[in-house]
Amino acid sequence: MLGQDQIRRLLLDALRHCPNGADADIYLTATEQALTRFANNRIHQNVAHRDAVAHVRVAIGRRQGRAVTNNLTDEGLADAVRQASEYAPLMPEDPDFPGLPEPLPAESVAAYDRATAGCDADQRAATVGMVCRKAGAIALDAAGFCRTGETELAVASTRGADAYHVGSFSGLLITARSNDSAGWSKGGGWRMTEVDVESLADEAIDKAVRGRNPQDLEPDEYPVVLEHYAVDDMLEALSFYGMGAHMVQDGRSWMTDVGGQPAMSPTVSIWDDGLDPAGWPVPFDAEGVPRRRVEIVGNGVVRGPVHNHYTAAKASGASTGHQRGATGGPTATNLFMRPGDQTTEQLIASVKRGLYITRFYYTRLAHNRGCVMTGMTRDGTFLIENGEITTPIKNLRFTQSYVEALAGCQALSSRARLNLNEAGVAMHVPAALLAGWRFTGQTV
Amino acid sequence: MDSLIATALDTARARGAAYADIRLVSNREQRIVVRNGVVETMTADESAGLGIRALYDGAWGFASTRDLTIAGADLAAGQAVQIARASASQNGAGASVEVLLGTPVSSQGSYSTNISVDPFTIALEDKLALLLAADAEMASVPEVSARMGNLVFIREDRTFANTEGALVTQTIYEAGGGVQATAVGHGETQRRSYPQSHGRQQGCAGWEYVVAMDLAGNARRIAEEAAELLTADACPADVSTDLIIDSSQLALQIHESCGHAVELDRALGDEAAFAGTSFLTPDLLNGFQYGSEQVNITADSTSDTGLGTFGWDDEGLPAQSTDIIRNGEFVGYLMSRESATRLGLPSNGCMRASSWNRIPLIRMTNVSLLPGTWTLDDLIADTDDGIYLETNRSWSIDDRRYNFQFGTEVGREIKNGKLGRLLRNCTYTGITPEFWRNCDAVCDAQHWQLWGTPRCGKGQPGQIAHTSHGASASRFRNVRVGVMR
Repeated sequence: MLGQDQIRRLLLDALRHCPNGADADIYLTATEQALTRFANNRIHQNVAHRDAVAHVRVAIGRRQGRAVTNNLTDEGLADAVRQASEYAPLMPEDPDFPGLPEPLPAESVAAYDRATAGCDADQRAATVGMVCRKAGAIALDAAGFCRTGETELAVASTRGADAYHVGSFSGLLITARSNDSAGWSKGGGWRMTEVDVESLADEAIDKAVRGRNPQDLEPDEYPVVLEHYAVDDMLEALSFYGMGAHMVQDGRSWMTDVGGQPAMSPTVSIWDDGLDPAGWPVPFDAEGVPRRRVEIVGNGVVRGPVHNHYTAAKASGASTGHQRGATGGPTATNLFMRPGDQTTEQLIASVKRGLYITRFYYTRLAHNRGCVMTGMTRDGTFLIENGEITTPIKNLRFTQSYVEALAGCQALSSRARLNLNEAGVAMHVPAALLAGWRFTGQTV
Repeated sequence: MDSLIATALDTARARGAAYADIRLVSNREQRIVVRNGVVETMTADESAGLGIRALYDGAWGFASTRDLTIAGADLAAGQAVQIARASASQNGAGASVEVLLGTPVSSQGSYSTNISVDPFTIALEDKLALLLAADAEMASVPEVSARMGNLVFIREDRTFANTEGALVTQTIYEAGGGVQATAVGHGETQRRSYPQSHGRQQGCAGWEYVVAMDLAGNARRIAEEAAELLTADACPADVSTDLIIDSSQLALQIHESCGHAVELDRALGDEAAFAGTSFLTPDLLNGFQYGSEQVNITADSTSDTGLGTFGWDDEGLPAQSTDIIRNGEFVGYLMSRESATRLGLPSNGCMRASSWNRIPLIRMTNVSLLPGTWTLDDLIADTDDGIYLETNRSWSIDDRRYNFQFGTEVGREIKNGKLGRLLRNCTYTGITPEFWRNCDAVCDAQHWQLWGTPRCGKGQPGQIAHTSHGASASRFRNVRVGVMR
């Protein structure tokens, strides 16, 4: 870990190289990650890396120049500031550029666990070994990873921004396979102690065992019970294809033409909250603006997107603190979906004939309007008949509007689980019962 | 640098590594994005570091650092062996696989991408002028609500050495560019891209590669096509028909349904938890009819301007061309030293790492469909009823690379041997070997083009590889189209 004091000194020293009459900010990310990967019941890849990257922006009037470096010596950072300063005057003016944001104090949020950040290779190997032994004992192959590490984020600017945050992370992903079935589980968060290794191993193994000898099913529209892994995929897609204000302003978002309207079921409420410790908290964005809680869908009504300083100025509003990286648009990365009041078993029990889906795979946008996605089911697809899971089904292809599907959301589980991906996107979501899901093909 | 390399490899050996290799990488990247007439992104990125791989007691470890001092390299080497020891400690937990690397690799030499003009010598003003001119052309079409143009230039200097005596240095240049227009109206959103989608066309090349694209000269055309698509007829819903697929879309079809399917690590289960496995299991090698006799596919890391073109892979194997599909038969994998040895074969040099802080994985190089004999005009004239599809819009395939579905930005009806009305929201879907066995015509070399796919994801931690695929327009009989809601 570089530490707050060292980072602050480096950034403030570098900002002194900003030319007179200009403004500058520096967004720094420093990550140490170790990941132990396994397949066929053995560790086949085992890696560690550390890197720190400074993203420099210099603004002269309505012109911006940028430079990025992982050379964090005083000289390396000074060179980056000089480079960005040389670029800025060459840029055409952007009439919508509002300048750098004024500094606002960000709340401090607990998201660092020393034991998690310091977890060593032997500890990860022991965790993986336990999973492999459990799978191997019943002739299944286990694959997946165990990862731990820490990320430091900092922003400093000539306007006075001075923000620092450190968070730890952990993750355990397991796929258990036989020659004709597979099961999946994944856990993670900012504390390794929240990862229940035994339970996750059992979850993946149970699916693989119950999935043996999968059957064909005629592709059609069926009611579905989606595990939280599949709901996580839906929210990620809705986030990346339309919750950023830049996409709404361009007319490229699924929110286009449905803002303020009840596009989803009243059971559906979705919000972004970078401060809730139940997620993977990040208290400020890449511009140093404090993260604000943003209601995106409230009781089925589409409320609005998340903003950075630029899109907010265009909309005559205030940034919600969602500039995720140094470039690109604002992104919702700490999403929560309001749970319901049923158990997953009750969701299944209410389906006469439908499908139980563990997760989706390779989902891609087929059309912006309605966020139409195509993808496959994977690692545990089962037929539900008369309220009970009966038969494993071969993986199915779907082509489905995620917005329409959530318009048919009938119920949600009372338990929500955190899905933290490797890019730091965290979705805290329940399982869902949806009235219809359009399957359009089946694999071999 | 020599002493840094020697120290790292000596440390790995001294700590007990049976094999070790080191890569030192320095990457410089310039990325310019103009969106709706303003410069959204203009960055100069620099990243440098080293990564060390060590094999101890039949298990791998890897460590990396941006500390390019001898002390930093020494520390990373020790950490790599320590991690390998942790891997080895669990060797008894499950299946035991002895890691063998086959014939030692002791390549020596240097390589540089063949370029005419170093893109980093071109003034920033000239690059901006190119993008702003293209943007102005797109802005002249009133239905267009979002415009994007971008340029990317990369220079990467790599040094590889191993404990078997290899020492190679390479300088790889990449250049890329593209424009994209999104039109909104009539309750629709439609996009057109040039030269291809996914942001840009990219190759191992210099500034001349971008100039030849003539972005400004094509920008208004694609903007007008995006506007025209708003009121075009929809693709016929859920019917089977004959398709002629253009070169760029076919390149992605090859990438997804062949390139990934012939990665030997996938076939052996190493990617089972993430990227998936492959239906092309080793028992099918040299005995499975993957496609029709028209289908010949190679993996060629020597192709001019290919993003998978280099001097040596990241295990020190020299660039080469090998057959993957010959007259429709599956005859070759993309391989590493370790995986090839498990099949009793030599590696064909497909190990590539995306950065100094990532391990090499089996990645595509330039996996291409070889040209056939048809002209495109003759092929269209020979098609009674079908659709001509251009430019990828969506792509998805299952975890064994069987069931795929693609969407394209544009379709054109073919009736009685002639191109007809424009079609929007076109999709097609199928099962990989059935689809390729229904390929009955491949256009000739004058229609063949190498397309860059610079965003190929694989591995955990994630890696983005740059690959290329060559193809010419080809015909596929009886394909299901129009799966959209």
